[in-house]
Amino acid sequence: MSTREETVLQQVAAPLGDITPERLEELFAALEQAFERERAVVADRKAWKQLRDRWLGRRAGILTAITDHWLKPAPAELRPRIGQHLNRLRTRVEQELQGLLEQIEAEEEVRRLAAERTDLSLPGLRRPVGTRHLITQTLEEISRIFLRLGYTVATGPEIETPYYNFEALNMPEFHPARDMWDTFYIATPAGRPGSLLLRTHTSPMQVRLMERQSPPLRVIVPGKVYRRDNPDASHLFMFHQVEGLAVDYDLTFADFKGTIEFFVREFLGPRARTRLRPSYFPFTEPSAEVDASCPVCQGRGCRTCKSTGWIELMGAGMVDPAVYGFVHYDPKKVSGFAFGMGVDRLAILKYGLDDIQVLFQNDVRFLNQFP
Amino acid sequence: MRVLYEWLKEFVECPATPGELRDRLSQVGVPVDAVEDSPAGPVLVADPTANRPDCLGHLGVAREVATLFRLPLQAPTVHLREAADATGAATRVEVTAPELCGRYVARLIRGVRVGPSPEWLRKRLLALGQNPVNNIVDATNYVLFELGHPLHAFDFDRLEGGRIVVRRARAGERIRTLDGTERTLSPETCVIADAARAVAIAGIMGGADTEIHWNTRTVLLESAWFDPASIRRSAKQLGLHTEASLRFGRGADPEMAELASRRCAALIQELAGGEILRAPLDLYPRPPRPVEIVLTRSELLRVLGADIPDADIEAILAYLGFAPRAVAPGRWQCQRPSWRQDVSREVDLIEEVARHYGYDRFPSRLPPTRVPPAESPAQQAEQQLRQRLLALGYQEFIAIPLVDPADDELFRPPQTEPVRLANPLSEEVSVLRSSGMVSLVHTLAWNLHRGQRNLRLYEIGRRYALSPSGQPLETTVLTLGLTGLAQEKSLYTPERAFSFADLKGDLESLAELAGGVAWLEGTPAWVHPGRSGRLRLLLDVCGAEIGVAGQLHPRLAGRWKLRQPVFVAELLLEPLLEAFERMRGRLRYRPIPKLPAVERDLSLVLDRHISFAQVRAAIEAAGVQALAAVEPRDLYEGSPIPEGKYSLLIRLRFQSSEATLTEAELNDYLSRILASLQQRVGATLRGPQTAS
Repeated sequence: MSTREETVLQQVAAPLGDITPERLEELFAALEQAFERERAVVADRKAWKQLRDRWLGRRAGILTAITDHWLKPAPAELRPRIGQHLNRLRTRVEQELQGLLEQIEAEEEVRRLAAERTDLSLPGLRRPVGTRHLITQTLEEISRIFLRLGYTVATGPEIETPYYNFEALNMPEFHPARDMWDTFYIATPAGRPGSLLLRTHTSPMQVRLMERQSPPLRVIVPGKVYRRDNPDASHLFMFHQVEGLAVDYDLTFADFKGTIEFFVREFLGPRARTRLRPSYFPFTEPSAEVDASCPVCQGRGCRTCKSTGWIELMGAGMVDPAVYGFVHYDPKKVSGFAFGMGVDRLAILKYGLDDIQVLFQNDVRFLNQFP
Repeated sequence: MRVLYEWLKEFVECPATPGELRDRLSQVGVPVDAVEDSPAGPVLVADPTANRPDCLGHLGVAREVATLFRLPLQAPTVHLREAADATGAATRVEVTAPELCGRYVARLIRGVRVGPSPEWLRKRLLALGQNPVNNIVDATNYVLFELGHPLHAFDFDRLEGGRIVVRRARAGERIRTLDGTERTLSPETCVIADAARAVAIAGIMGGADTEIHWNTRTVLLESAWFDPASIRRSAKQLGLHTEASLRFGRGADPEMAELASRRCAALIQELAGGEILRAPLDLYPRPPRPVEIVLTRSELLRVLGADIPDADIEAILAYLGFAPRAVAPGRWQCQRPSWRQDVSREVDLIEEVARHYGYDRFPSRLPPTRVPPAESPAQQAEQQLRQRLLALGYQEFIAIPLVDPADDELFRPPQTEPVRLANPLSEEVSVLRSSGMVSLVHTLAWNLHRGQRNLRLYEIGRRYALSPSGQPLETTVLTLGLTGLAQEKSLYTPERAFSFADLKGDLESLAELAGGVAWLEGTPAWVHPGRSGRLRLLLDVCGAEIGVAGQLHPRLAGRWKLRQPVFVAELLLEPLLEAFERMRGRLRYRPIPKLPAVERDLSLVLDRHISFAQVRAAIEAAGVQALAAVEPRDLYEGSPIPEGKYSLLIRLRFQSSEATLTEAELNDYLSRILASLQQRVGATLRGPQTAS
């Protein structure tokens, strides 16, 4: 500290006496410099407090001393000038101290937080979360697509009568097409064998829905179906289907095709292509097998599609007029289409499962894979 | 149906390679799964649909190929060299069951030399998966694969009385079939008999007694038409499915019977010599009337939504054998060929045209929606439930509802008639579950036995029963279960095992959305009697019992070798979701208190038999308006609490909407509450404590 500043700090303890404005200015400038010099060496909160008390302390602070010894005894003509200088000095000191405090606090925070550092490589604390079954996810995905097209969702019984499962779908007893589905029958205590069965497809709901309401009709029916197949990696005696039915006064094969193509693109992606192959179902005419370009290889050929580039997606077609006869619709006035797809198969294809059984063993290590 | 490429070419000059043919045929509705090589050349493995028995022979497939490429079909023509003797002089045929046998053509071939077939024939049969037998039998099989019409050759000399009777089997009549099996027949089955006995099961399999031997001299060649439904019924009854029953069962072509007979007779003569007697017996009392079908462009447009040029319509129908005649613009009179019994209506013709025109050539259109898309309230409620379950950390599982009856019985509600399968694949999957519990416990066990210790699982599925009148009942239930640790020991936390309280808390979380539940005592045998309850909805409109929750009974846990406590619940979904919907409709905003709540703790000493519900009721009976919550904080039994008593720390929360509660008011509340506790449940105070 220079002699001039030391001197001025000693001077605050004594009255100024007679003084020129220039000299007064010099004194305050020296005070500011003194403060500045002291401030520059303050590094922590303790030193900051000392500095604050030394300058702003109510009883022993430098500014109090100036007030007591310089301002109060000063002659009236000099007092406003001293007051001005003093205020400027006070403002300056207060501002500087405030800034300094913030700086010290910021530095302290940096040091404190640095000490609180955690090991980023340690695992977090995980809470167990719920998961939806892959079949539910796939069903919801399918439902969402058809909801957008104005379809509603209905459900129906799994224990059916031969009438709904076969006859009303244009398959009288001993119809050759019944061989397409191996059927589980219910042992009825009343002794009427064959009067109840487990539905082999969701198609019975076509009849039940049309019995219940008049056209227009746009419904999908998700649900479990049963076929008496011996289980292997790709077959199980229970699986899930989604049935679709649209009946109206003006629906044609073009609407059928457009709807199916829309679904395939939504479900498998915008690049997926659709192929309709003529087929046969007693309850549709014309009938079609719907293929989609293989989602695994994009149609180039792979193990999933057995090198054909295509995968079978569903059976479908225009509702056979004979079915309308069973529900008292006028086949000359109404027309529509129906489709049925295997949900499990779609899930297996889309997610690359190698065994259908895994779906219903419900090992949580499987469930966890599809959150 | 295996199709030899070279054989097809005998009927149509096919320009496509076998590989191309596979794709093209599949595209017109004759699915070909693969092309294989064989000593007789490439084989197309076709799987014709059930409505197309005509494609179960090479000629029928060739007709599809001819239509595909618009090429002429060269149908086989047969010129027989016949002997002077008439068939009718040597044998007789009688049909006493004309409803089962619509046509019966019998030819006699005398003086045959039975022997092995030539190499070319053996090769073809082998390529089709048929073992060669001898030249006579092979000839019948050859024609079966060629024309799709099954035939049968009898050793005429072994036919008792030298004649044929087509009749219903007698009840209990027995026959040893070609495969060496003794079979018992019923009158529903049509048999070919001689004067004494059945010698063949009509249209399914011949009998061993009259089969062709190396020493057979005279052959009676049968070419018939049998009723498809009866063939199917009999084949199913006998469990006997043959190439013949497949074709007759799907519907053979009655007109083909005569051609097939001639073709086969000529082939036998070529292979085995002999003379064919003239004037075969042909019992064909009611040939089907020709069926005329009209196709109109307007209907075609209505169904397909796109036009097809006249030339294509006419060519496709003509090549398929429908002989279309344009009777007016946009109107064709067609005649059904005998081999297409599956076609009877205009829409069937439309399909014929559409499939050969090509499904890929039709436009596609997304029809406008008719109703605004919407989920039903019940679906929304189910979504709400599923979201809550997800939030609570439950993993959804889906089980196959067919279960082991022995397991099912343990959870079956009383007076429930289970749904049993008449033809199960095995005993373990022979009954539809009477409760979702059986699948839940099975799934928990599956995971616990595979090293997965901490589980929270749920399923929304059905349980099944038969009503006393035999009507099926399907009820949707929510089952859920938890076991293991709620919190595993980690760097940050101690471990904590699941307890009944976790189950109860989760159910309270669900019940909150349904307006709450009451817990009732008295539960079924599959839960721990001390740690279980029945649940009843509080909502007045529902007011129904919706299920059971509790710890799985240790005895059952032992049956599944579960070594840790398992907590389970089964709830009826329908009333639960109905309550969800109603609660959703009742939700209204309640202003948030502006003033802070005040908490006071009471440490009570109570008799052991006093329940928390009684304590709460006693507190509420004091009638303190500002009381907002009663919360148990600590339970303690043992020294220094006297025997037979326990101490309960209760936290009371007071909330006033008008003004900050004063100390005087609080003291008044506490003394009123204490008085009520003393009076109603005999509680004594261990000393009031202020909430810290």
